[in-house]
Parts: sequence; structure tokens; C-alpha cells
Amino acid sequence: MSGHVRLPSSASGWAGAALTVRALLIGTVGLTLGGCATSEFSMHSLPPDTPAAVNASAVRAAEAMEAAAKQAADGKKSTPAAQAAEATAAGPQGGGQPPAAQTNADAPTASSATGGVSEGALPAQTGQVAPGSTANAGVGATNAGEGGEANKPDTEPLVPLTPEDAPSMYTYDPWERLNRFTYRFNSRFDEAIFLPATNGYRRVPGIIRLGVHNFFSNLSEVDSVANYILQARFLGSAKSLGRFVLNTTVGIGGLFDVAKHVNLPGAPTGFSETMSTWGVHPGPYLVVPILGPSTLRDGVGYLGDYGLNYGVNLFDLYRGYQSYALGTLNAIDTRSNVGFRYYATGSPFEYEVIRFLYVRKRLIEDDALHGRGKPKPRDADAPAGR
Amino acid sequence: MSGALAAADIHFPDSGPPTGLAGAAALRATVYGTAPQLLAPVPETVPLQEINIALPWKPPVPDVFWFNARLRAWFAEQPGPAPLAILISGTGSDGNTAKISMLRATLYGAGYHVLSLPSPTFPGFIVAASSTGVAGDLRQDSQDLYAVMQQIIAHLPHRIRITDIDVLGYSLGAANAAVVKSIDEKEGKLKIHRVVMINPPVSLFMSIDRLDKLFALSIGTGDMAIDNLYRKLYIRLANYYRATEKVQIDGTDVLAAAGSVFKTDADFQAAVALTFRIALINVFFAGDIYARTGVVVDPKHPPRVGDSLESIARQLRDKPFREYFEKVFAPYYLARRPGETPESLLAASRLDIIADNLRNNPDYYAQTNSDDLILDQPELGWLKSTLGSRIVVYDHGGHLGTLGEKQQIADMLDMLAGRWQGGAK
Repeated sequence: MSGHVRLPSSASGWAGAALTVRALLIGTVGLTLGGCATSEFSMHSLPPDTPAAVNASAVRAAEAMEAAAKQAADGKKSTPAAQAAEATAAGPQGGGQPPAAQTNADAPTASSATGGVSEGALPAQTGQVAPGSTANAGVGATNAGEGGEANKPDTEPLVPLTPEDAPSMYTYDPWERLNRFTYRFNSRFDEAIFLPATNGYRRVPGIIRLGVHNFFSNLSEVDSVANYILQARFLGSAKSLGRFVLNTTVGIGGLFDVAKHVNLPGAPTGFSETMSTWGVHPGPYLVVPILGPSTLRDGVGYLGDYGLNYGVNLFDLYRGYQSYALGTLNAIDTRSNVGFRYYATGSPFEYEVIRFLYVRKRLIEDDALHGRGKPKPRDADAPAGR
Repeated sequence: MSGALAAADIHFPDSGPPTGLAGAAALRATVYGTAPQLLAPVPETVPLQEINIALPWKPPVPDVFWFNARLRAWFAEQPGPAPLAILISGTGSDGNTAKISMLRATLYGAGYHVLSLPSPTFPGFIVAASSTGVAGDLRQDSQDLYAVMQQIIAHLPHRIRITDIDVLGYSLGAANAAVVKSIDEKEGKLKIHRVVMINPPVSLFMSIDRLDKLFALSIGTGDMAIDNLYRKLYIRLANYYRATEKVQIDGTDVLAAAGSVFKTDADFQAAVALTFRIALINVFFAGDIYARTGVVVDPKHPPRVGDSLESIARQLRDKPFREYFEKVFAPYYLARRPGETPESLLAASRLDIIADNLRNNPDYYAQTNSDDLILDQPELGWLKSTLGSRIVVYDHGGHLGTLGEKQQIADMLDMLAGRWQGGAK
């Protein structure tokens, strides 16, 4: 199967879907803003816990860790080039969304070990621990920079960062007041719309959800191909293109991630990373309505990514009524892969914590993006992000 | 940082070494938890329902806590009549943590309905369910928990048939569980049958004071201490990701990344101490608002939704539990309980307030570890002599690092079912 894939549809079907979506939006936004009607006691079903799968994946992760530690101990020099390259490209399996769309997501994921991702819908994630930590052990010990040339044109040694290179603990947030109200809006929107939708969606069999997830990841490869070129990282661009071609054909329109199995794991990038490559700072912290934590650069990057997808209009999916359905499904897929719940901490300091984690995560990614050579000097007194 | 310790007239007992009974291995076990290979078998799926309940006795909700107006709890329902196991979370935690989920799975697998509740020190509980808002009083907190249990059970749909009620808790939740049962022995409203305490503290104050010492030891005091810790961790993580040359960080190698962050004993100590301090920050903040003690929140102008809380967080992260006790907890309760002294309040934070129940009633059980960092030798000895054959002490695991292990679960289920023959370990 190749080339042009169309979603089976009739015009009236899409029109109906669009109407439903609009009605849903209007109704729920009202509900969200007003706060939900509450009774004294309520009890509602959640997707079931899947403890056996959680434990099994913990065992796999622990074994991968041990294997990696053993391998590292056996000798860092023996790291095969192919593996180093894999480590290099071992990008987010759960990726494929433009950066800003991922946001409300990634920062807190580490802290909440909930069933969302570990339901077995996305297997094989843990296997990637091994190469990553191998590369770490090797470089950490010698700074010799073996195998790193795959990604960056330069062959400079990796100069480790020192504590003075860390950005300030405090975050540049000149729009804090607005951001805090947006954060509250988002939490209400999440409770009223996203969570009921994703709770329903999680009852769909995992294999189908994985297909949907792969489908969207595959669509986003177009953006990655373009942005890798803009970042002058042509190998990354070629890999993304290879993934796209392989998954669209052999992977039946992107439903299966076959490229992963031939040593081409996903490594999405976007316009925000392109800006970062050319020296643009994250800028002020920004809570985007519905999407969540972001920075000015990530917000602009998201618009850029969307604009590119709109312009390319792959498979005619980004215009007309089908774009509503596509956007809705994409949002539900993204949200259902994020184990985060607003105010699960119960703490009013959650805003500060999420801001801290989100911006640090992006800065660490920037540091990794700038790669080898001497780290860029930072203004020690400036709040992080500026 | 606000002024030096003011109330030098309170006599604090010495809490001993900062890591209690724990050595290097116990610290690691505390941070990483039970090795996944050792976990007890669990069911494939556990059905789950979320309960939201508004509690009539709660004081008005402060503006910054708007999202905590209703208490959240979780219920795993058996298809037919079954005994109910009520789980209480540890310090600062909600009723749906990874540890709760592990215990819930084994209990559900053994045929129990499972209701899990947050700790009375979880901000969601403090706001929605505490009758005072000033957390940390063992009896008051447990009284509130007891009232919450009654409310929830009274509202459960009729299809759920409960044949018996047992209560379990871990860490601080273990002490709460035991005190709840002691209250029920008097009031008899729930007829709680058995209690299993998992890694209980003996003295709330002593345990937390140790963790404060551990904080000072591994992280330091003053504004630069946290900053230094942050810088160290930041560059370790950044160097890790620079070496892997990833474009975007994701969840796939969190464990490996954690391995690059936690290296020395001091790192593990810092991780443990920081976890408890973060819980304390929330308790302190809420307590200061409810008690109107004005330590970090001006009672006349409390913060509102749009206000930055960063400067408050900055002040609170340096404040140990002693300061909470002196400036919020003691003033609040002394004003409301004539005849109490700071020393009597401290003494009331000890499990010996229910020593007679623990000693004489055969339905109290405990599980702990010989290297638990929240205990010292006399406290462990006290538990052993008070509970006799109804306590089992494992030789490893630190604090909660045996939770979910095959042996721990088997023993726990034996205790709950009344099959426990006494620990020969």
C-alpha cells in the first residue's frame, strides 16, 4: 500500500461530526467556566487498574537497567557504533505531537506512575533504557565522545556542564497572574472534558489505541523532516523521512511503527527546537489555554508546526470537516497518554512545581540540543528562560 | 527566613541519629522501593471507582485551596458480598499512590472491597475533611478519618454489601489506622475488626525531627542549600541527556536518568529528606492559614487565586517541623484545649496514647523493618514488647522498601484474616 490514504468518509458524516463537536464545545465550555454542578456524594467508574502489567513493565525496566549497568561495567570502549547511533536517535516513543501540545504532559509524567501509559498500550518502551544509559556511562567516564557524531556535525569533545552552568531556580514569568487563571481554567476544562473523554477512550482495546497513536506520530514526521533540515541536522531529517516512508507503506498508513524495529526509533522535533538551535531562548513562561504549560518560544513553535502541517495538508486531513475530527482524536490520544491530573498534588504550589519542572525540562533539552563543545554561558542572575 | 527559633521554653526530646535505624542499603530501598522481581502476584485488572464527597463539618475553604472543596477517595468493588479493607496513605500522600495501588491490588485479589483514603496530612484532606485545618495531631486527625469513613460507608450504594471492616495504613497512615480502631472500640459505629500497621512511626514528632536533621545534614540550611542541591541535580540530568543526545526528553529512560542523579549516600538522604519536607510545606501553609498564626500568611490578607506563592514557598522550604510545632500547631491547640502544655501535645503524638489497646486487643497487628529510618532502637523495642507476637520485623527494606513483597503481602493477608501464627522471623 502506498501514497495517498484517505479516511473513508461521506460529506454528511463529517458535517454531523463537526456539529456534534461544536455542540459539545459550546456546552462544555459553559460548564467549565461555571464549575461543575456538584452533589454531596458521587461515585463514578474509572478505567480499571492493571497492576500485573505495571509490575511486569517494572521488572522489564529493572532488568534493562541491570543489563545496561553490566554492559557499562564490561567496558565502555566496546560500545558498538550502531548502538551509540540508536542511543542518539532514541527519541520519544510517545512523541509525534508538536512541542506545545505535549506540554501539559511531559513535565509531570515522571512523578505520576499512573496506569495511562503503562497499560501495555505502548510496549517496548523500556527496552530503550539500555542503550541510553550505556552511552551515558561511556561518555561520563571518558568524555571521549564516541559515536556522537551521528547527530551533530562537530566532533568536539563533550565538555560536561558544571553547577555554574545551571540556570536560575527561578523562572521568568512576567504574565504570572494571567497564567495562573489560565491554569485554573485548564484544570476545570480537563476535569469536565478531557478526563471523561479519555476515560471512555481507554476502554477501547490497547491495540487500536496504539494504532491511532502511531498514526498521529507518523503524520508529525513531515514536520520533523522539515525542521531537521532547518536545524541543519540532515541525518535526523533523513531518518525521519525514512520512518515516514516505511511506516506509511509497510506500516499501513502509519498504523504500525515498523521503522522502530529496523533501528529507526522515533525522534520527533519541531519549530521550537529549530528556534532553539539558532539561539532563541525559551522566553516567558506561558500557560496556553487547553494545551497547558509552555513558553513563548514553544507557543510560537506550536503555531509554526501547525502552520506547516496545514500548508502541506497531508492526505487532505488538515482542511475542512475532517480536520475537526482529526484534531479531536489527536487531542484525546495525546491526553490519554499523559498520566497527569490537575491538582492531584492537592497543593496550591502545584503551579510553581509544574512551571519549575516544565521550564527545566525544556532547558535541559536545549542543553542537549546545543550538544558538544563548550556549554553556552548563561546569565546567572537572570530568571530561567529569559 | 524569618526570625530565629523563638520558643526556647519548649523542651524537645532528643530524636537521636538522623537516619534512625537505616544504613546505606536501607536508604536505597526507601527511595527505589521493593525490587519489582520480588513483588507478590496481583490480578490482571482491578476495577476502580472514584468517590467525591462534601463533608458537612469542614470550615470554609480558603481561596487558594478552591480545588480541594470535596474529598476524593477510591473504591475497588467486589461483585458480591465481601469484607471491606480501608487503606490509609502515608505522610502528605493522596489515596491513590503507587503504594496504595500495589496494596489495593493484593487485597482485591484476596477478595476484599478496598476503600483507599488520603493521609490526614494530605492538603486535599486538610481542606476537605479536617475539622481544624491544623494537621499533625494523632487523635484529632484519626477522629476526622473515622468520621470520613462513616460518611463514605453510609453513602455507598446498596448493591455493595460489606461483611466485615478492617483498616490498614502505611507510614503515618499506620498510626492513624490504629488510633481509628481505638476510637471505634469506644464508639462502636463501624465495628472495625482488625488493623494492620505497615511501617508505623512510634512518635510522630521524633520521626519527623529525624528527617529534619537528615535534611540539614544532606542538603543544609539557608537559601543557598536548596540552590546548590538544585544546581547539582540539574547539571547531572543535563549532562546525562547531552550524552544521549536526545532531542526531547520522554518517559522511556526515567530510571536510567534517575541512576545518573542519585549516586552517593548523601543523594539518597537528600531524596528522602526532601520528600518529607515537601509534604511539610503543604501542612505548614494550610495550618498557618487555618490557625491564622501569621507565620508566612498574613491572616488579614491571605493569598488569592492569581497571586504568586513563590516567596511563601521559598520561606517554607527552610522551615523544619519544630517551627511548625512552635508557631502554628502548639499555639492553635493550646488556645483551644485548656490544661494542655507543649509537652503534653508532644506526648500525644506518640503511639503510646493507645498502648493499652495495642497490648491487650489481639486485633492489632504490625509489620516493620529492622532498618526503618523513621524508628530508633528503643522505639522498635517498644513496638515489639507492646505487640508481642502480633508484629513481624523484616531484616531489610528501610522505610516501606518491603511493601508489596511476596512475604510481606502473605503475612499481611494472614494477619487480616486472623490466620497469623506469630512471627518466627
